[in-house]
Amino acid sequence: MTALPTIATMVGVNRTLRGPAITHPFGLDEAERRRIVERGLEMLQAEVEPLTVWDVE
Amino acid sequence: MVKAVHYVNQFFAGLGSEEAARTPPSRLAGAVGPGRGLQAALEGIEIAATITCGDDYFAEHEAEAVARLLELFEAEEAGILVAGPAFGSGRYGYACARLAAAVAERGTPAVAAMHEENPGVAAAGKAYVVPTAVNVAGMREALPRMAALAGALASGRELGPPEEEGYLPRGVRRNYRTGRLGAERAIDLLLAKLSGETRTEVSSGFDRVEPPAPVPDLSHALLALVTEAGCVPQGNPDRLPTIRARGWLRYSLAGRATLAPDEWECVHGGFDVALANEDPNRLVPLDTVSELVGEGRIGRLHDAFYTTTGNGTPAAVSARFGQEIARDLKEAGVEAVLLSGT
Repeated sequence: MTALPTIATMVGVNRTLRGPAITHPFGLDEAERRRIVERGLEMLQAEVEPLTVWDVE
Repeated sequence: MVKAVHYVNQFFAGLGSEEAARTPPSRLAGAVGPGRGLQAALEGIEIAATITCGDDYFAEHEAEAVARLLELFEAEEAGILVAGPAFGSGRYGYACARLAAAVAERGTPAVAAMHEENPGVAAAGKAYVVPTAVNVAGMREALPRMAALAGALASGRELGPPEEEGYLPRGVRRNYRTGRLGAERAIDLLLAKLSGETRTEVSSGFDRVEPPAPVPDLSHALLALVTEAGCVPQGNPDRLPTIRARGWLRYSLAGRATLAPDEWECVHGGFDVALANEDPNRLVPLDTVSELVGEGRIGRLHDAFYTTTGNGTPAAVSARFGQEIARDLKEAGVEAVLLSGT
């Protein structure tokens, strides 16, 4: 999870989820955090191409 | 005339193949085996001696083998070491690279030759590696290239970039004056890109790995939390640096379901940490993950999280952190990781 997916893909991260901000990649409140974490879990269970970036919504 | 020493394994020294792979280090006079072809291609350099070691002996007694081979090398008072070519052979390539690295470390130029995907390449340290074909069919091409690079190194002149001099990139960047403004060069790159060719002046040496397979069943998996956001216990008891961290830390999560702001803080020096310190779960989402474990969506949570400061950290150092943390996670049986990058 990062708000800097271009850097993540540059260094070779294969599963990047775009977080809302550098200062709080897992969101500000619990509801937002839940959406981000659930999307992250979904990505962990997905077949992906190298250097894939997903958005939360 | 510069004196050279050539390193080859037991096979190329003519001692035998696998049955001789446990032969300890020894010295042979002059050029032997591929060394004869190498000698023919060398200008101003004479192979005074060949040193050799069985591949298995080297792998099983690395420290002794390197020490003994260094003794044999130094006894010749040579100006350069040439090792290989090892082509795609992993044990042989590793031995060439380790010995070349040890010689280069002592300030004497060293060249090893092997296929670019030989695992030895990563062990070559400050030595130069000449790329070769994957098998011995590439001998005829490899020897002149090794000779050319050895000649350049023995001459004492400063070497140009890898693609000009014929060695593999060593991760070294040098400043130089191009004589052309950055704006002009940027326009060139842009025009090249518009015509379908993507070029860069700053090539990256970053690893590319295949995406790991999907986690088959998260509801039974062990998941861990990792961050480079510099999240530590209040007061930073282990003094994690705010910038240029030299290591990573691991903190127990046993008995916790959230990271409370009066117990944890963020010491990262590269962003405003006010929001993170208000609620550290914004960096390490222990609260949400604990809930999901309770709901059965995640099997279990690893009982510790991993943290460092990713701020001004060289890529090679970060890669080491990643390898060390991954080893720890694998040993613990962790199958999935959520990592926050800031």
